Amino acid sequence: MPAAANLVEDLRRALGAEGVRAEPLDQRLFSKDAGVTRGEVVAVTFPRNAVQVSQVVLIAARHGYPIVARGAGTGLAGGAVPSQPAVLIVTTRMDDVVVDEANRTAWVGPGVINLDLSRRTASLGLHFAPDPSSQAACTLGGNVACNSGGPHCLAEGSTVNHVLAVEFVDARGQILTVGGTAPDPAGLDVRSVVVGSEGTLGVVTRILVKLTPNPPAVKTMLLAFSKVSDAAATVSEVIASGIVPAALEMMDQPMVRAVENFVHADLPVAAAAVLLAEVNGHVAAVDAEADVIISVGRRHGATEVRLAADERERLLMWKARKSAFGAIAQIAPDYYLHDTVIPRNRLVEALEEIYAIARRKDLLVMNVIHAGDGNLHPQLVFDGSVPGQLEIVKSAAVEIVEMSIRLGGTLSGEHGIGLEKRDLMSLVFSAVDLDAQARLREAFDQDHRFNPGTVLPAGSRCFDFGRSVAEGAWV
Amino acid sequence: MTALRSTVARLFGKMVAEAPGSPPADFTLAPTTADECAAILDMASEHRLRVLPWGGGTHQGMGGRVEPNVVLITTRLGGMSEDTADLTITAGAGIGAAAMEERLLERRQTALFPEDSGVSTVGGMVASGSSGWRRLRYGPTRDRVIEVVLATGDGRLVRGGARIVKNVTGYDIPRLATGSFGSLGVIVSVSLKLWPMPEAAATVRVDDIGAALIRAYRPLAALETRQGCAIYLSGTPAEVTAQVAELGGNAEEGHAWPGRPTGPFVVAIRVPPASTAAAVGRLPRDAQFVAAHGVGEVIVSLSPDDGETPLALRSWAEDLGGAVVVLAAPVGHGFDPWGTPPASLDLQRRIRAAFDPVGVMVPGRMPGDR
Repeated sequence: MPAAANLVEDLRRALGAEGVRAEPLDQRLFSKDAGVTRGEVVAVTFPRNAVQVSQVVLIAARHGYPIVARGAGTGLAGGAVPSQPAVLIVTTRMDDVVVDEANRTAWVGPGVINLDLSRRTASLGLHFAPDPSSQAACTLGGNVACNSGGPHCLAEGSTVNHVLAVEFVDARGQILTVGGTAPDPAGLDVRSVVVGSEGTLGVVTRILVKLTPNPPAVKTMLLAFSKVSDAAATVSEVIASGIVPAALEMMDQPMVRAVENFVHADLPVAAAAVLLAEVNGHVAAVDAEADVIISVGRRHGATEVRLAADERERLLMWKARKSAFGAIAQIAPDYYLHDTVIPRNRLVEALEEIYAIARRKDLLVMNVIHAGDGNLHPQLVFDGSVPGQLEIVKSAAVEIVEMSIRLGGTLSGEHGIGLEKRDLMSLVFSAVDLDAQARLREAFDQDHRFNPGTVLPAGSRCFDFGRSVAEGAWV
Repeated sequence: MTALRSTVARLFGKMVAEAPGSPPADFTLAPTTADECAAILDMASEHRLRVLPWGGGTHQGMGGRVEPNVVLITTRLGGMSEDTADLTITAGAGIGAAAMEERLLERRQTALFPEDSGVSTVGGMVASGSSGWRRLRYGPTRDRVIEVVLATGDGRLVRGGARIVKNVTGYDIPRLATGSFGSLGVIVSVSLKLWPMPEAAATVRVDDIGAALIRAYRPLAALETRQGCAIYLSGTPAEVTAQVAELGGNAEEGHAWPGRPTGPFVVAIRVPPASTAAAVGRLPRDAQFVAAHGVGEVIVSLSPDDGETPLALRSWAEDLGGAVVVLAAPVGHGFDPWGTPPASLDLQRRIRAAFDPVGVMVPGRMPGDR
């Protein structure tokens, strides 16, 4: 639809002509993320700082449009896809980096690309630990929104463990900073709620991140198995054995074959499943830890163990793992990726069920798994141009979610709920739980100005004791 | 009040209890289930009674004084079930933190609660957001709270998070509840992510803690007291041996944790980590302290009669974006327990109202309450 002329004029007055786009092509380009859902965009804005973000928030409110914030658009759950016609705030021009070496922190703009930050700090021997597979493209603002993970979150934790403070613009256009460099800021930990809130509580304009020392030694290895269950059992036993590997990833045969065609890393394509394990730390520690993983793997029938001989081989192994999503394009034009989590010792059952679901629906499923923390990424590959295929894929996806919950898991480990899994929230939360989440959201954004219709299903705010707030009460 | 007393006697008579050290209140009740806990809070909100949750009582010196109508004792909220192979544990708020650690130690695992938990409960540790010395390596307790069941101020039972180690499904209520000091409601149970206990441990005495902290690879802690400085290590035997040698070799096996400073007036100075040594330099000459280098916290016992020092420390720390907060103070001591309230105070109040709409939970305790 053509953008409301007054809205665009007001936005251009605030941001300059180059800070606003509202042509049909722009509206179309920015109407979806890397997932399968599309929304409706009225105008796309590119503010340079918090003050400009605040102006956009107020102008959009005046014209009655909600705000959807977006980084690089690599999200897969529709968290940056408007559920109703909206003004987009694209954060990519807010890309300052100010490193505080002494405190091992940095203030960064939300538009800074994840990998760029670690490259900037490499000379100081520091890096930003969360490393999503999309790290060469995704922004830190997006990482904060989705509490993103990545293979190395097994030992280091997700984004929230590495964010000390955020500056954000609230629904009234105010600029607020929560958290700080000093430990345990007094009062409620608002920062923890903003991280992972998928743009529903405000627009983050600056982030104080913790930087992690680069490990002096790293050992990376591939273990091949002739049965998927052997690989899964190895994961469970490594976790229970008392060492926490830096990363513990798994790919099944269809995935390994697709990746091998793509990166030519001489992967064991005959294996039913391959584990990619990494240990890092002090030079004197990594050999013993690698030995533990290898001996557990051999005990569970590993058919091949390959220790990366040098940095080149190590990086090739990681390239193979991180190319998994791109490699799928050779198999079919579309894929639908889920992101459920299960307890780590239920991996064998979970995979058996995923294969059974795919068989029943006559679908090809390829698995790449953050196995060490039980984060499944089954990818259902399909051709969206075949009528009815997407519906079959979505019904299989729901069955995978239900299975994960039955095993004690949940909907999302690192991609977020967005639009995609919003209506599945009631599978894991009661009406009272969802109502509490909705109340928390309204404490930030009473009128649902930010990313409305995402994360929480319609009607979440339904549970009410009907008690009024007392005059002079402590609230 | 008479009518209320008979209502309470009828509904909650079997929960009437006492807790050593808890302040006088109209009703001191010890529920044994989540539902009982919620029912008490529902009643409190209906009758606008001020509620103070009470576990082991070890962190009640923090924040402003609460004059409660109801003391809600959490020690009978029991139950503990661990998933050994998945490194998670779920426990009722009333479980002793030390008891939990003892049970986990049998499996060489740990929840990384403070090393000197005493009679603290799991619920109290989480509610007060207390972390042990090992947070330099493993992060604060908040990083390990993966699920919480909260009885809200108006008696709803809300669950947030899940018993899995990686999760972004809805807002992070477990982290919000951590360090909320009862201001949202009563924590009924929590699930925690655990860590394996490494095989070897050593304490290395060092002269220059700053240099040692740079040389050591990710130690558990780098602590300074009046008696000296030490780097705390753990890992594989080979790694610990190598690191001990790199740090000069003046080491003993195991971890010799310092005692926390005690006294009538104890505060925590919280500053950016690189300012820890500067904070130590500002302490009175005879004050007992433990400084956590790399973390940015100095816990110090001060004379309750010295009005100048804490104010000067606070003004300095707040200029650096930090704070000086009270851990223990004599009743009626004039030093504000938190200092300058955070800029997000209005938002914090709205968040509290979302969980406690009537405002019965710990009125007076949080920053800006007085």
